[in-house]
Amino acid sequence: MSEKEKLLKNVRMYKFAMIEAGMFLDTHPNDKEALEYFRKNKALAEKATEEYEKRFGPLTLRGAGEKERSWDWVKGPWPWEGEK
Amino acid sequence: MWSYDKKLEYPVKIARPNPALAKVIISQLGGPHGELGASMRYLHQRYSAPYDEVKAILTDIGTEELAHLEMVSAILHQLTKDMTIDQIKKDGFDTYFVDHTAGLYPQFASGNPFSAETFASTGDVIADLHEDMAAEQKARLSYDNLLRLVDDPDVRDPIKFLREREIVHFQRFGEGLRKVIDDLDSKNFYAFNPSFDK
Repeated sequence: MSEKEKLLKNVRMYKFAMIEAGMFLDTHPNDKEALEYFRKNKALAEKATEEYEKRFGPLTLRGAGEKERSWDWVKGPWPWEGEK
Repeated sequence: MWSYDKKLEYPVKIARPNPALAKVIISQLGGPHGELGASMRYLHQRYSAPYDEVKAILTDIGTEELAHLEMVSAILHQLTKDMTIDQIKKDGFDTYFVDHTAGLYPQFASGNPFSAETFASTGDVIADLHEDMAAEQKARLSYDNLLRLVDDPDVRDPIKFLREREIVHFQRFGEGLRKVIDDLDSKNFYAFNPSFDK
């Protein structure tokens, strides 16, 4: 697995944990354990996103336009192209 | 993938219920020039788009159209949530009400349900971008017609915002088309399809 794939895997993992825990919390809004799990993964997702974007470009508009002189958002490959 | 922002792109705050307006504005939800068709058109076309610029513009405009779908839905919801049975009867909203109460259902003003027949995805970037530019103009003129029908400033305000965005999208698609054309054989733009031929 390339470094890019490894970093993206981390982003996916922590963001998926947020989605999953968030959905559970929608119907269990007072569950302390789930809330703690969500917070932990949110912090990890933020860190993993920052690490990925620093090296391989923006994942959302929020991460775009940070360092290069031209607009990095537009650069391929795009996620549906099946490239690594 | 997508994630949800818990806010509207532009605010919608309508004080007075008005089912008569909802009856015509619903076309911008699920009608032939509506926001559901717009978002689906661009988000399906992008897979075969040949240039990064065109992929980006279809992704970003398709995403904004989802936000417009939500704004039109907010307008419809606020126009119908406190309507009375008398208003429903007087405004002729009864034919919608019997099936959907005050729920939202994407349909034409004429009552036909939303149809994917309202848009195309041809796998040919020239055909697709021309369709997209026409679609933005059709959405713009639909909002122009709504502005002719609507007096309530609470409703006009977000409709004016939506109308302006159609004009900006038209401009961006035009720029995308220009980029595509510039890359083709100027003696025969249609000699090959850059979405398919390598």
